[in-house]
Amino acid sequence: MSASKSRWADEDPETEAIIAQKKREKEEKRRAKAEKQRQLEEASKARTATQTDGSAQSLNGDSGPPTKRRRLSNDATPADAEVPEGEEQAQKKQASLLRFPVREWGTCRHVDNFERLNHIEEGSYGWVSRAKDINTGEVVALKKLKIQSSPDGFPVTGLREIQTLLEARHQNVVFLREVVMGNQMDDVYLVMDFLEHDLKTLLDEMREPFLPSEIKTLLLQVVGGLEFLHDQWIMHRDLKTSNLLMNNRGEIKIADFGMARYYGDPPPKLTQLVVTLWYRSPELLLGADKYGTEVDMWSIGCIFGELLTKEPLLQGKNEVDQVSKIFELTGPPNSQIWPGFRSLPNAKSLRLPQSSSTSKNPPLLPRSRFPYLTNAGLNLLSELLALNPASRPTARQCLAHPYFREDPRPKPKEMFPTFPSKAGMEKRRRHHTPEAPKHGQAAPQLDFAGVFGGATGGDTGEAGAGFTLRLG
Amino acid sequence: MATTGLKQLSNALATLDQISNSSSSIDGVPSDLEMSIRCAGAQLTQAAGVLLGLSQDIIAQAIVIFTRFWLGADGGSLRIYSAKDVSAASLYLTAKLSFLPTSPRSVLNVYTLLLSQDASPLWFVNPRGAPVQPPAPETYVLSEGGYQAARLTLLRIESIILRALGFDTHVALPHAIALTYLQTLGATKPGVARRVVEHLNAALLSPQLLYVTHQPNALAVAAIYLAAREEGVKLVDANWWEVFDVDREELGFLVVAMRSLEGFVRKETEQWKGKKIPLVVDDLESEIERRRMMDEGE
Repeated sequence: MSASKSRWADEDPETEAIIAQKKREKEEKRRAKAEKQRQLEEASKARTATQTDGSAQSLNGDSGPPTKRRRLSNDATPADAEVPEGEEQAQKKQASLLRFPVREWGTCRHVDNFERLNHIEEGSYGWVSRAKDINTGEVVALKKLKIQSSPDGFPVTGLREIQTLLEARHQNVVFLREVVMGNQMDDVYLVMDFLEHDLKTLLDEMREPFLPSEIKTLLLQVVGGLEFLHDQWIMHRDLKTSNLLMNNRGEIKIADFGMARYYGDPPPKLTQLVVTLWYRSPELLLGADKYGTEVDMWSIGCIFGELLTKEPLLQGKNEVDQVSKIFELTGPPNSQIWPGFRSLPNAKSLRLPQSSSTSKNPPLLPRSRFPYLTNAGLNLLSELLALNPASRPTARQCLAHPYFREDPRPKPKEMFPTFPSKAGMEKRRRHHTPEAPKHGQAAPQLDFAGVFGGATGGDTGEAGAGFTLRLG
Repeated sequence: MATTGLKQLSNALATLDQISNSSSSIDGVPSDLEMSIRCAGAQLTQAAGVLLGLSQDIIAQAIVIFTRFWLGADGGSLRIYSAKDVSAASLYLTAKLSFLPTSPRSVLNVYTLLLSQDASPLWFVNPRGAPVQPPAPETYVLSEGGYQAARLTLLRIESIILRALGFDTHVALPHAIALTYLQTLGATKPGVARRVVEHLNAALLSPQLLYVTHQPNALAVAAIYLAAREEGVKLVDANWWEVFDVDREELGFLVVAMRSLEGFVRKETEQWKGKKIPLVVDDLESEIERRRMMDEGE
């Protein structure tokens, strides 16, 4: 094969195997310890600490200790510090090779492995119920995918939801344990970690909004999860408070990937019918078919505003009303702050008042709307809610914003108050948020002539004034 | 944190059990026959992808999905599912998730042509080779009734594939990784890059199932090693493959496997000369029956 002498020819494979074995054992022990720690924190009395979640399933490959390990001749562990001096030389001779996470695949289990406890919620993409894993006793969330008999087979939205969730392993993204099936081919359930609350219901039940320090902690977690998603080339496209789940340890996780998908560079053709209306960015409303992760950042802005005031920030009654609500808050766009917005499909009908602003930077939002927010906070909110997508910060820039470093500092997660769970009880969550758009709908051609016209869309409340829906 | 992003670059691999116990072998399909059908199915998928105008990454992912489906006792059995149907559904499913989705009708039209015994250019479907004069359209055009039936089968098999794979459709490919490595190594000769891609695409047909037993970085390194030697390009002196996290043992195995591929395919064409490789359950049954008779006759 090669002229040079084989590198392992002069080495004793048995010694190597023993060393590798020892390292593996050490690694296992450390893992088991970490797992124990985690489980103790969860304070679940039902099961012993050593028990790990049904790791026989391929999807859970990363959750517990892997059921099987591939033998690698060079077992790379970052445990250099533990190597005694004498061995260090030998260690150096061997390159430390990166090990890929061991993953397997396997056929779906049956849904009968779970005992359904109670319904939690019925969303646009499926029914969610609380359920118990019969084998381990763990409580999970079971989401049944809605599969209409589609001429194209298994719905691509469902496939994307599973694919992106499987990829997005992050402490602030809900953990998809596995996919199980019922008796029928279209009985598909996602098994996810159960979380007690969603942020929307919490906000509705609270007397007072979250404290500024709490808002920072929440926002940092959401944006941290989003940064990870964007790094993995995943756009969520339906961020809203009802899709942010929270447990009683102050941890927040992004959920519902029914709208999520991979994007690319150059971006593929995308549908504009994404994101629940109240959280939908102006470029989507104006019909852009090329957009990017900025749509998620707009939604973050809306969520930020909602955390501050306890009320959804921009509650439009329809697309036209939504646009006028946005412009009411941010001021109308002009070609200085948003070059090129005129060429968006739905912007042609837009009649805008003359704007005097010549600054390129997005204007600050009116202070009167957020009286208790610091200057840095208002700054961040205004940047997130910039009409021009290019002016919005990325998730990473957002995390580095001075707002998160000034007093009051983000509250430690452990100090978060606990709340009675809505999802754990018989009660169903009821949302007043509009639903995310359905996949496969035709994008409406909107006529925004009424936005700043004689009758403002917001006054009428009906789809009539200045709103024409031309399909096709 | 260091391993969180690695999912994009790595794959779920077959377990030893999945490799050694396929559903087809449990059902009594001789392993050489299974190997031949799997290889022909991969070639069928490749041909269909080219005719559909899909990019090679979609085609390669579809072949990996196709390969995974048959593995393990829980996988699909060739005595239950026709290889041609699984090939079509893999391609359709992969394209659906990609940036270039395609319609069931296009997929089925292409498969009708490729499986036509009179019009197909594929040697293992139409041993006489592609006809010079186009034959009668009925022999390769899908009728409306045929389309409706075939569509139902396509979508049913799609669900069956998803169930068998636990809905894990992620496939990372070595092609782009290999190009990055080539740049890192400073091997800019176009011939090398071309040869690397050729090796990687050929490896999709490998009887050793390289794509489901090795991570993409290892496949990329092996293809580069082989291509550089074939093209007479000198790479750096040191054990450069270790930089890309591949040890010599694995590299050696992969290089041998990739080099043996040409001989394997030549042997296949020789063995099946003038015969069709059974891509449908019924044809497989007759082949198994034929072999049984032969054995008894001796």
